[in-house]
Amino acid sequence: MEAETIITESLTKFYGKIRGIEDITVRIPSGGVGFLGPNGAGKTTFIRTLLGIIRPTRGRAQVLGYDIRHEINQVRDRIGYIPEFNTSFIPDTTAMKFVAFCARMNGLSYAESKQRASDSLFYVGLGEERYRKLATFSLGMKQKVKLAVALVHDPEIIICDEPTNGLDPTGRVQMLELIRSLQTDEGKNVILSSHLLRDVEQTTDYAMVISEGKIRAEGNIKELTANRRSTVSVKVKTKTEELLHALEKRGMEVWIEGAFIEVKTNPDVEKEIFKTAFQIGADIRYIGSRSSTLEDVFVSLFKEQEAPIQ
Amino acid sequence: MRESNTNSTAYVRKFSFRPFEGFRRGRVYRLAAVSWYWWIHQWERSRAIKILIGFLLFTFVLMNMFILTFRDLMLINPYTGEAISPNQLLEDTILQMIRGIVSFGMTFTASGDTSNGFSEASFNVGGTSIFILILVVLVGSGLISDDISNQTTEIYYSKLERHEYILGKFGAFFIFGNIVLTLPYVFEFFLLVIGIGEIDLITALPVFVHTIVFTELITVTYSSIVLAFSSITRRRLYAGLSAFMFLFVANMIVTSLAFTGGEVGLEILFDVLTVLLLSSYILTGTTTVRLQGFYEVNLTDGVGLESWMILGALGFYILIGFLIVVVQVYWRHGK
Repeated sequence: MEAETIITESLTKFYGKIRGIEDITVRIPSGGVGFLGPNGAGKTTFIRTLLGIIRPTRGRAQVLGYDIRHEINQVRDRIGYIPEFNTSFIPDTTAMKFVAFCARMNGLSYAESKQRASDSLFYVGLGEERYRKLATFSLGMKQKVKLAVALVHDPEIIICDEPTNGLDPTGRVQMLELIRSLQTDEGKNVILSSHLLRDVEQTTDYAMVISEGKIRAEGNIKELTANRRSTVSVKVKTKTEELLHALEKRGMEVWIEGAFIEVKTNPDVEKEIFKTAFQIGADIRYIGSRSSTLEDVFVSLFKEQEAPIQ
Repeated sequence: MRESNTNSTAYVRKFSFRPFEGFRRGRVYRLAAVSWYWWIHQWERSRAIKILIGFLLFTFVLMNMFILTFRDLMLINPYTGEAISPNQLLEDTILQMIRGIVSFGMTFTASGDTSNGFSEASFNVGGTSIFILILVVLVGSGLISDDISNQTTEIYYSKLERHEYILGKFGAFFIFGNIVLTLPYVFEFFLLVIGIGEIDLITALPVFVHTIVFTELITVTYSSIVLAFSSITRRRLYAGLSAFMFLFVANMIVTSLAFTGGEVGLEILFDVLTVLLLSSYILTGTTTVRLQGFYEVNLTDGVGLESWMILGALGFYILIGFLIVVVQVYWRHGK
């Protein structure tokens, strides 16, 4: 498996004067990658550009070494795509027929497409329902059919665009579990595009944050969260302001959140806090570390965004 | 709705994923596969289509029984009393039959033809053409509009090129056209050869070729127009009704003009079905046609309606229809 599955260079797409994505230069590693951003950030545009559904205005992209401008059919055969749109498929056909048909679009023979359609539907948990008409399927089941369609031709990369949209909590858990298992058990490269931070956090190890058509941050989720704002929360009985200023004077990064003083983590942070509190005579009622989540990273990034980036 | 088995996550590891190690077929195979699937899906989804095709086959049987019963009578021209050769009878009958596909009233006949008039009075001519038109609309109207309303285009475009999608849709219609138009009339040709008897097949070869060429031309024209309407709306009902009105109403206007005794001139070019009908005469080398048996129109005299105008108009309709589909698929659906 290659170290990088997707490489883009100044990839840009404008819809007339409206920016879809602009100058995206990334090297997406193999494994699970979360593509995170608010609605309208450009996630779907980026994915559709990679699949050749829309042509980029400028820039280049390679998927598994294939150029999307000149070798798009090779790219398509190696990508399984779960579109965001709430498709109702062909309502009066069965799941089995539809998935097998999609396999034939990827060049599988008639016999192989039927066999693999059956396997894929079993894999996503629709084995018993595979001969039912798609019109009778619930939203969760349709999402699983989309996953079966994405899997049926055995792609190397699976791109899931908002796969948990409209799902109830159980369906959401099942879908994320399936996506996770595709990475861990089947060795697939999964790109999960979502505006739901928890979905990305639960299923992937690497995240890219996109907003207004530009990449704002990328990296391993653990590193992103560790580097950003892992903090120690402190609550004192009195002298909150004094402690805040005293900690600041010691060169620590501090701020107030509600009744707590948040102190950015460093190796001796607890020791420093106790020492300072003792010096000014503040009574500590609570001290505890708080791991930052991807949500914290996301929020801080969008706070920073108010100032120009790049 | 039963979803009991999907409420458990135990299934995730129940079936392992089998890697695909086979051979991926080429683009032609994929194109043929999607065309066939889209046609079969139209067949499977509509009971009306099955009934109409069954009805058309029934009329074929009925017509052939009629022809076989009155074979001897038909070999004499009732107007002149002259004998008609079996080849001439074959030609008159099969040509009128295929022209009847695009004519509700059979508004034109070849000037000075030797037809014994049987074909014009047969059940097929002007009778089944309306059913064929309904069938065409039923099959073609949803081919693209359903994809737009069901939002399946996103899946298709992630697997196929846009031109493959377009060719697949035309391919689906082409399969339908061959099953419903070309094959039955080719079969009919041979039934007539057997039924009439004493046919010189070499002499009849041009008629056979015209049967294939003209039915294919009808398929191409219908597909271009119906798919154009299907690509501009997301509702198959609107697409179907618009296509039907476009083909049917224009044809009625031209026919009514003929019946009211008006001069039929270049306005005929606005009627796709009449243009198709006249193109059959042009392709068989007929230069003068009669409108409802009264008004003669010479297509090669350099005055008024000319052969090139008819063939040009037909090409224009086919091209415009095709261009609408292309523009819709590349421009509108691409956003």
